[in-house]
Amino acid sequence: MLKMQNIRKSYRSDTIETHALRDFSLEVKEGEFVSVTGPSGSGKTTFLNIAGLLETPTGGQYLLDGQEVGGLSDRDRSHLRNEKIGFIFQGFNLIPDLNLFDNIDVPLRYRGFNAKERRRRIEKSLEQVGLAARAKHLPAQLSGGQQQRVAIARALAGEPRFLLADEPTGNLDSLMARQVMELLEFVNEWGTTIIMVTHDPDLARRAHRNIQIVDGQVSDLRQVAQHKQSAIA
Amino acid sequence: MLELRPILSALWRHKVSALLIALQLGLTLAIVSNALVVISERTERISRPTGVAENEIVTFNFMAIPKDYDMYDAFRQDLDMIRALPGVASATISNHVPLSGSGSASGFYTEPNKETGAMGSNYYTVDEHFVDALGMKLIAGRGFYPEEIMQIDPSSNDRPKVSVVTQKFADDLFPESDGNVLGKSFFLGGDDHPIEIVGIVERNLGPWPNSSIAGRGAFYPAITDRWFYYIVRAEPGQRDEVLKLVEEKLAERDGNRVINANTMEEEKAQYFAGDNTMIKVLSGVIVLLTFIVALGIVGLTVFWITQRQKQIGVRRALGATRTAISRYFLLENLMIAATGIALGTAAAQIFNGFLVREFDQPALPVSVTVFCALGLLAVSLAAALVPALRAANISPAMATRSV
Repeated sequence: MLKMQNIRKSYRSDTIETHALRDFSLEVKEGEFVSVTGPSGSGKTTFLNIAGLLETPTGGQYLLDGQEVGGLSDRDRSHLRNEKIGFIFQGFNLIPDLNLFDNIDVPLRYRGFNAKERRRRIEKSLEQVGLAARAKHLPAQLSGGQQQRVAIARALAGEPRFLLADEPTGNLDSLMARQVMELLEFVNEWGTTIIMVTHDPDLARRAHRNIQIVDGQVSDLRQVAQHKQSAIA
Repeated sequence: MLELRPILSALWRHKVSALLIALQLGLTLAIVSNALVVISERTERISRPTGVAENEIVTFNFMAIPKDYDMYDAFRQDLDMIRALPGVASATISNHVPLSGSGSASGFYTEPNKETGAMGSNYYTVDEHFVDALGMKLIAGRGFYPEEIMQIDPSSNDRPKVSVVTQKFADDLFPESDGNVLGKSFFLGGDDHPIEIVGIVERNLGPWPNSSIAGRGAFYPAITDRWFYYIVRAEPGQRDEVLKLVEEKLAERDGNRVINANTMEEEKAQYFAGDNTMIKVLSGVIVLLTFIVALGIVGLTVFWITQRQKQIGVRRALGATRTAISRYFLLENLMIAATGIALGTAAAQIFNGFLVREFDQPALPVSVTVFCALGLLAVSLAAALVPALRAANISPAMATRSV
């Protein structure tokens, strides 16, 4: 599903070169739920950006669904992002001027679906996150947890192969965080591969596998117990 | 895929700033389209055919100092001398200079002893060289014979027997004659002395091209010492040399007079100075307003893009290509511009109605509004283009940044 080999990413300013990722290698299989943890500045976000085709690595090889994505044009990367990857951000990143329906519509329009198909997918995804009745509400009229559920609905509407979640519960209280986590576990059960960056060790333990990044490298790979049953319960 | 509805929703949330720019565009359209009509009308006025060889003609008059100065003798000697100079194509004497803003006019009738219902027209007193000297085109009949030229006192009841008129004079005084007026006579007010038309010249706008009688002209075979100008036509390309030479020779022939020399081009420029100033001022207004509206659009687009950097990053992360981002902002701009243009079209018509009613300005044709609307639309898109292209360069990684 996702295979990174010796990925390097460095940022250069006038006087200094910073290595965000160094010889970073990782393989994620289809259907996995992988959590990524590590201290601040360890390279978690850089990894997420490269995995989500938001940034290009300085070196190394990245295969997504068996396709080498290193040499793709910006346009092709945009299309691939739109078709295969769903994003969930810490700050929800909903567009404040658009209601929930139109927010979920954003990636579907870029995909080129017709109006009928878009409506079907939007209604279905809103139902999946339990917000079908709020389609015409603006994001500001919702709680943080509800906004994050809309963001999940937006990610799901395109039926992506995998979801990248960046601290999805970081801005939520514990109750809402638990609800969002349960939702992600459901989504994973339906077959979507999930990579979730988190600071929360409890949430990290609920994934199938936890990866720790330190100084831009994978420092530890641990299989964690399957928590789905308990999490759902 | 076009995002008209979401853009509309977003615009609705920022309706005040969007509406202000739309209003600015609308106001600019209303002013620019009306200014353009005025410019076009003034340009047309200035550039219409005058019927005379305006670029080849120089004019002279003089003030004689001695009281007993024999003017008619001076005319004869001066004109004989001028006609013999190199570079001179022809010369005549006239009471007035066409396009100069100074002339004589009278009321004309088709029947004797009439006092009301006259047709106004310019008239000139000239000698037999006038057609050539003014560079006019004789389209029917003849000019004057030397023996027909009279010396008249304008305040007396002296009347010429014959006249050459312009085509417009003939058409307006004898509308039923279909231009065939040779041999017909006209009369001055309260007068039973017929003046026979012996020739027709194609065109002569006269001394007041902006007046309602412009184009009507009657030429009399007469010389008067009350008002006089030597009208000298130079060979092509020799006008300035001829001006200098004639001025020198006139002074040389008789040093007791003050000579005033001008080109007809200068006379015309002076007459149309107001129109030219109006054209320049309105052109400046158009450029200034267009620049301000473009600046407003650039400012608003840059502001909105800066404000929405994160949102642009999110859109890119969700699959928007660079083209889609640029298109979004161009479409947003297009919708504001379209609203402004719709408002402006209505405002332009209302404003024009006011100008027509109150200031006798020309009506605004739809084609001018359409032309201005398309022009402003192009300016608006051009103004938004650079910020829109810069927006497309915002990285999708902006979506995961915390600021």
